[in-house]
Amino acid sequence: MKTLRAAFNRLLRGPAACRLLGRMGIDARRYWLLMQLFGRLAGRREMMSHLGHNATALRTNAWVLCAMTALMTVLLLFTKPGVASYFAVFIGVTGFLMMGILFSEAGNSLVNPVEGLVLAHQPIDGATYTAAKLTHLARILLYLVPALNGIPALGGLLLGAPWYYPLLHLGAAFALGGVIALSCCAVFGWLIRFVPARRLKAAGQVAEVVPWTAFMLFQNGRGLFRHVHMPHWIPTETAPLVAIGIAAAAVSAFAVAMGLRCLSGDYLVRISAIAGGSSGAQTRPRRSRTGELVARHFGGQASRAGFEFISRMMRRDWQFRRQLIPMIPGVFGVLYLSARGWRTSPFSGTFTAVHLVPHLFGVLLFFICPLLVYGSDYKGTWLFLLAPARAFGPFARGIHAWLWLRIVVTPHLVLLAATVWLWGIRDAALFTAYSLAIASLYLGVELRLIDGVPFSKPPEPSRQSLLLPLMILGGLLMAVAVAVQHLLLFRSHTSVLAAAVLLGAAAYFATRSSLDYFATAIRFNLGLMSAEAKVLYTEVG
Amino acid sequence: MNTGESAPIVEFDRVVFSYSFTEVLHQVSFTLGKGEVVGLLGPNGAGKSTTIKIMAGILAPGGGTITVAGFPLPARAIDVKQRIGYVPETAVLFDSLTGQEFLELSGRLHDVPEDTLQARIRAMLETFNLLSDRSSRLDSYSKGMRQKILIAAALLHNPELILLDEPLSGLDVNAAIMIKDLIASLAAGGKTILYSSHVLDVVEKVCDRVLIIHQGKLIADGSAASLKASTNESTLEDVFRSLTGSASVDPGVARIVAAMQS
Repeated sequence: MKTLRAAFNRLLRGPAACRLLGRMGIDARRYWLLMQLFGRLAGRREMMSHLGHNATALRTNAWVLCAMTALMTVLLLFTKPGVASYFAVFIGVTGFLMMGILFSEAGNSLVNPVEGLVLAHQPIDGATYTAAKLTHLARILLYLVPALNGIPALGGLLLGAPWYYPLLHLGAAFALGGVIALSCCAVFGWLIRFVPARRLKAAGQVAEVVPWTAFMLFQNGRGLFRHVHMPHWIPTETAPLVAIGIAAAAVSAFAVAMGLRCLSGDYLVRISAIAGGSSGAQTRPRRSRTGELVARHFGGQASRAGFEFISRMMRRDWQFRRQLIPMIPGVFGVLYLSARGWRTSPFSGTFTAVHLVPHLFGVLLFFICPLLVYGSDYKGTWLFLLAPARAFGPFARGIHAWLWLRIVVTPHLVLLAATVWLWGIRDAALFTAYSLAIASLYLGVELRLIDGVPFSKPPEPSRQSLLLPLMILGGLLMAVAVAVQHLLLFRSHTSVLAAAVLLGAAAYFATRSSLDYFATAIRFNLGLMSAEAKVLYTEVG
Repeated sequence: MNTGESAPIVEFDRVVFSYSFTEVLHQVSFTLGKGEVVGLLGPNGAGKSTTIKIMAGILAPGGGTITVAGFPLPARAIDVKQRIGYVPETAVLFDSLTGQEFLELSGRLHDVPEDTLQARIRAMLETFNLLSDRSSRLDSYSKGMRQKILIAAALLHNPELILLDEPLSGLDVNAAIMIKDLIASLAAGGKTILYSSHVLDVVEKVCDRVLIIHQGKLIADGSAASLKASTNESTLEDVFRSLTGSASVDPGVARIVAAMQS
């Protein structure tokens, strides 16, 4: 295996490959120097936020996706579909997942050029630098495309496909992945050419949401397109259809080629501006009234520090926003779906999507809490090493206060105002109280997922995959809770009131216990950080 | 040291640069001659680092023309980058690399032959007393050690033009004295040096000529002696204060002390 790998490496660095790179405007020598640098940085955990450089995260993701498609294959084989439909399903799944992953990765690489600050004054041309920087997208393809399509490709043989079907299936999946990767790079090429550097990070985040939003619209867009009569616009004869197809393909190919050209031409020139680019928006210096209240009731200035810190960083930290923004279409999608049942009171005896609302807060907090420890400005954590240990308890309370007031209480006030007209004051108030108690309990429990000082660690793409089993278990528990709630609780107002009081008490005790745990986690992680300095003096190589 | 009468190695002609919608350099023009050591002075935010970054090919100007070593910027940025050594104001490094690895990366990117590179790295590390730390990661280095690595990386490929943005930041006294001597030796060897600093007495000692930038405009260009004569001031610090309008900082100091005690 080692010999094979060495031979492959020699081939890649050989004169033929160098000539090929040269033809694409890439300086082969510097390209390999950069590849060696990025590999070394990844090996020393300095580029962990990039999925393609994080072998552990790649392997975890590959296994999870492999298990998912294996299950899909088994289920599909039972239904005995035609080979063409079977192929289309898996190619569709590959396209959708790879678009999300590669778009996010291209954005993460291109609008977060930390290494650009070190390399900007080195004699490297834009094409070479961009090619080296984006090679990790190919690594993602090499891991994830076989993981997604390996078992389905073999499964096709059980449907009576010819012997070469697995090769065709995998080849098509790789080709699709390659086209998506190039298209993602091209989109950012266009953005980098036309969007001012100070707006680029925000534009990249918005662009990352586009595939998910498009999917949601596609899923729920029948109503939107009801009055559009597409058949009137499409010619019925074959010849114009072929011409339109060719023209569309040519325009797309031209747009991708120009986007890639923009990227290689402009990227290194604008890298300093991108790296240093901020929104440029002036922030009004103002004191938060809620911050003052938090300081008064939750433990003084340290708790206010926690409240203000989390409030500002959640809005401004690029890595946090980048990971949270793709969830927004999902949240709106769920709200849209649950809106259909809002006219019916949850006490009517009919099951509606409204019964899910209290638990949706649990899902939302499950995504937010583990993400809170990761941020772009994690090197600023030294500040907390200087804080007295007694400050961390109130600091944790301040963080909890923000999450509770902004993510739990405020939406419930809106919910109450919206439902009081639809269900009457008694049903609305009781449901809101019940939902508030459950959401507070979820927050109390999920606070334990914040493993240290918020925004104090570089992002780890494997983290989300590792949380997957917990997510599945949580989903099952929620399903049981929803069933119990519908079948037992929402039969009488008294039982809901009693449950709300009990859940409220449980939330109180869970929160107290989790806050102690959270403050200890902060101290523990800061202790690790200061101990790390000793480890870092270890000689390398 | 040179008086700058030879063919200029850097020509800045009416250069304009803006961040967002704020113009930070307004029609700045000057030249640097071969072998000259030129000090670049100015208050915080005056545009010094921006000027240096434009000269290094890192930022593209919004207007005007720039030529470095005969190559126009930003069109021939790669050729310019081959010929310059740049010490940035903040020591941004790849923290997980060792000192030796970082210098190797920098030298190889500049096409320095391997034998020469290793010999130069060894000499630099020895001179800067970093040889015993060459295999330690850069995140374990002190601020001064990181600064020495940056200076070494800027000199490894024997550049024609050396851009120093606050090079003495974090250096101990011995290393600072060595860098000042090094600047003089490099200039004597024909290197052109642009030296940006807030330490005015060092600038006065090592530089042939001084450029003062204030609010994005070049407000003075000449030798320290000629600037003192033209402003009737006795020290470069007084010249600087008089030209930049920072005649007295005492009220500011008093305000800080009062705020601390309130």
